[in-house]
Formats: sequence, structure tokens, C-alpha cells
Amino acid sequence: MDAGFYLQLLLNGVVIGVIYALVAMGLSLIFGVLEIVNFAHGEFYMLGAMLAYFLTMNMGQGYWATVVVVTAVAVCLGYVLYEALLASLEGGGFERSILLTLGLSMVLQNGAVFLFTTTPRMVQTSQSYVNLVVGDVRVSLMRVFALALGLLAFGALYLILYGTRIGRAMRGVAQNRDAALMVGIDPRAVSRLAVAIGIGLSGLAGAALAPVYAVHPLMGFSFVFKAFAIIIIGGLGNIAGAAVAAVALGMVESVVGGFLPLVMVDALVFGSMIAMLLLRPQGLFGRGVRV
Amino acid sequence: MMPGWLRALLPLLGVAGLFAVPRVTGNEYVLALGVSFAMFSVLSGGLNLVYGYTGLLSFAQVGFFGIGGYTAALLVTERGWPLEAGAACGGALAALVGLVIGYSSLRLSRHAFAIVSLSFALLCMIVARDWVSLTRGAMGIPGLPVPVLHLPGWSWRLSRPADFYYLLMGFAVIAQTVIYLVVTSRLGRAMRAIKLNEALAQSQGISPLSYKLLALALSAFLAGVVGGLFVFYLTIVDPSIFDFYYTETMLIMVIIGGPGSFWGVLGASAVLAALPDLLRFTTDLRMVLYGAVLIAAMLVFPGGVGGWLRRRGLRRWRRPHPATP
Repeated sequence: MDAGFYLQLLLNGVVIGVIYALVAMGLSLIFGVLEIVNFAHGEFYMLGAMLAYFLTMNMGQGYWATVVVVTAVAVCLGYVLYEALLASLEGGGFERSILLTLGLSMVLQNGAVFLFTTTPRMVQTSQSYVNLVVGDVRVSLMRVFALALGLLAFGALYLILYGTRIGRAMRGVAQNRDAALMVGIDPRAVSRLAVAIGIGLSGLAGAALAPVYAVHPLMGFSFVFKAFAIIIIGGLGNIAGAAVAAVALGMVESVVGGFLPLVMVDALVFGSMIAMLLLRPQGLFGRGVRV
Repeated sequence: MMPGWLRALLPLLGVAGLFAVPRVTGNEYVLALGVSFAMFSVLSGGLNLVYGYTGLLSFAQVGFFGIGGYTAALLVTERGWPLEAGAACGGALAALVGLVIGYSSLRLSRHAFAIVSLSFALLCMIVARDWVSLTRGAMGIPGLPVPVLHLPGWSWRLSRPADFYYLLMGFAVIAQTVIYLVVTSRLGRAMRAIKLNEALAQSQGISPLSYKLLALALSAFLAGVVGGLFVFYLTIVDPSIFDFYYTETMLIMVIIGGPGSFWGVLGASAVLAALPDLLRFTTDLRMVLYGAVLIAAMLVFPGGVGGWLRRRGLRRWRRPHPATP
């Protein structure tokens, strides 16, 4: 085992970690602003990947066009989701929101199974087998693209949250809902945008990973399992915490996965979530426990 | 209104009726529906105890169910234990696991509990599939033997479908009685107080965490035992015992029946155990339908049938009586 092997594993881990981060940050953003745990979040990742599959394989679209279209569609879906379902839940108790999004997840997931069956599909393009070789390390071009997209989305989210009025309003609502209402922030507009961004990030993650992994209707389900662990480890509602935890988890997972069977990796994810809850319930970067 | 003695008699008549079914008909389809009802009534009753009464939305019940199933199957086949010991051990292990995940996540919040319980259920399926040396992987443990139940002075070989009908129905009656006794006792009142207003309950000297853990452990135990009995009816245990299908079905039973309504959930279990099977939906389509029902219920009908009946009763009670001439 030489250094190149470790470097390879670490690099793969960073790529997958950045994609985890996209999904987990959206989940965390929606939780922070609306206090809703979106159990259907993984299904939008799945829908993004499925849509990317159909755009590339059936419509012959290129990679970048696909990514843009999928993200735009996901943002629109986020608006629709908020207006149609989540808006009516304001103050309706957290169980209702969980059960509602769980019902949505059942409809989307089983509907996709019913329509497309569970057969895994591969997105193949002319660039699928192109590798970048630097020294001992070789990375497929698709992974590099996924990494670049993820970092781009990080930057965009940072700019929105810290550079715009509506972003500041969003952070305000997440920090203290009542105070935000008192200074005249419209909770509906802020919530709508938070859901749209969250779902958009999830769709983008699906489109970015579609050429790297197989696409099938059950993919969102196992992915969201990790996203949940990440937002607990990073601190519920803490977006930066989710990003750091996601990248760290991706790297640990990739390195451990190089030596141990897959089941140990999943057990490790779950175990670290339980350990975090026992040792530091507010998460690694928690801003204090909210109940 | 029916008189009090009739109200007390009705459940006994119902139980007697259920136990008379195998004597009237030997039809295996009818018996299979009965077994499915008995199994789901225990699962949904346990979920009702945890969610409906104590307010903890748990997705972990299917994990407890499967842990009970695997434990009983392994102990009976590998160690040659009798069925009742294997199932009891499965229930105990499930309760222990329930206490661990409950204790760790309830310290944070009920959100964290919901998330952790879902992750736990997913982890169970992954472990069952991939820890091949313990669980034999995706193939599971097929061909479970005909179990023998050792009751005092009587050993009962469960070889016919009717035997399993009696066994699971008998356990369901015991489990429902236990749940009924808990929810109508001081324990149940304390649990309901915690659900309605945790801070107020705390100020009255109720320690929320211990009641939550009690509800969780009891429901986990019941789910584990019923899992241990059910796998011998199936004669196989494989990772599909952790399937999300069970979670969704018991959740829909509790939501339709009305969280926190004992008879509502029991009735919904009976209807939903039989109806979709009689209507012959494919599983995927049934899950889509259940999801849509869940969304609709959350938007317009959050109390379920039980909640609706309770509200109707309250309205009637509050209505001013017409002046008698």
C-alpha cells in the first residue's frame, strides 16, 4: 500500500463528500428555516439523477446542459412543494411535517419503481471513460466535474446566505423565528426560497452523480440515511457544520471502505451519529440544543 | 348508548369469535388474513403506544420486529432452543436496543429521535444483508423447522396453519390487553400528558424520559416477540423482514385509526390487514396509495377516525340540551 493508494481513496472521498454536502446542506437549510425535517429529500436527489439519465440517454443532451436543466427543474419543484404542501403546515407540529414528507417520499419512490422498475441504469457519455492522471492518482473526468459543481454550489450558497438581503433574512429566521417576524421579515417568502434552494441542491447532486454511479429509483433512500447522520453530526440546522461533516464523512468512508467490508462503513456512519448524540448532542459545531 | 356490561362483553365476544374461526373454516386464505391481522395489530398497537400516546414518532418498530425474528430463528436453529425462549429472547434484545437508541437520541429532541429511528431501521436492513457470517446475507435463513411450544404440562407442535393462527392470535390478545391496561392506567395518563405538554407534565413531577423509554421498550419487546413468532409462520427469515413496507403499513394503520385511540387503531389494523389484499393491488401501487393517503390525512384529517369520533363526542356533549317543556 503506497501513498498513491491513500491519496486516491482520499480524493474519491472528497468528491463523494462534497456531493453528500449538497444534499445535507439543503436538508439542514430547510430544517433551520422551516423546522421541518424533509424525509422526501433523498427522493429529489433520485429524481434529479433519473431526469439526468433521460436527458442524456434519451434526448442526447450534453453534460452541462443536463446539469443546468435538472437544477432549474429541481428549484421549480421546490417552489411547488412549498406552495402545495409545506405552506399549509406552518406551526402544525413536527410530526405532521415528517409524516407528510414521508408520504411524499413513498409516492415518489414507489411511483418511480412502478414506472421504471428497480433496474439500475448507467449514464454513459463519450467522456465516461476519460481519466485525468496526475502522478499515481487517476480520477475520472466525471468525478472532477462533480467536484467542481459541488464547490461551485458551495460558493453560490455562501454568496446567497451572506451577500444578499434575502439570504440574511433566511439566516435571521433560522436563528430566531420570532425576532425575525418582529422586524418584518416575510416568513413565507423566506421559507419558499429555502425549500427551493434545498431541493435545487438535491437535484444538482443527483445530476452530478448520475454519470458516476448507477441510477435507480431506490438510490435516494440509502443516500438520505447518510444525509441524516451528517446533519446530526454537524448540528441540526447548522449549514456550515453539515458541509464540514459531509466532506469528513466522505473521506473517512472512502478510506475505511478501502480496507473493510461495506457493512462496516454503514455501521460506522450510524455509530458516529449515536456517539455524537451521546457525547455532544448539539453536534460538532452546534449553536446549542433546540427542542 | 349501550349499557356498561355490554361494552365490557363486546371485546370478549370478539376474541371468542376470532378463536372460533378455524373451527368454522379451514380455508387457508382466511387463516392467512387472520395471521396478518394479528401480527399487524401488535405492531400498530406498539407504534400507537409510542407515537399516539407518548408522542414519539418512531420508525424503528420494523427494526425491533426483525431483530426479534432473526434472534428467535438463530437461537432455535443453531442452539436448539424452544420457540418460546427464542421469541422471548428476541423481544428482550429488541427492548434493549430500543433503550439504547431512545436514550441516546431523546436527550436531544423528538426530531433527533425520528431521524435516528429511521436510520436505525435502515441500518438493520443493511446489517442483515451484509453481515453474512451472522445472518447468512441476502439469502436469509430458509427452511425454519416446525417449532414446538412448551407450555406447562403440554408441548404443542405447530404444524398446521391453524396452529399459527391460534398462536399469533393468542399473543395478539395478550399484547393488546397489556397495551390497553397501560394506556388506561396512570402510566397511560402520564404518557398522554407528556405528549400534550412536556414542560407542564415535568412541572407536575413526571419524568418524561423514563416514561418515553418505558413506552419504547414495551413496544419494542412486543414487536420483537411477534417477529420471533411470525418468522416461523413464514418458515424463512431474510433481510426483507426489515422492509419499509411494514413501517408504512403500521404507520398508516395508526394514522387512519387515530393516534392515541386504542379501538380506532385496532379497527384500522383489521380493515387494512384485509382490504388491500382483497382488492389485489400490486405492492408498489399499494405503497403509492398509502403515501397519498398519508399526505391527504396530514393535510385535512390529522386525528384519524378515532380523533374524529372523539371530536364528535365532545361536540355532542357540549351541545345545549333542548329545554324540556
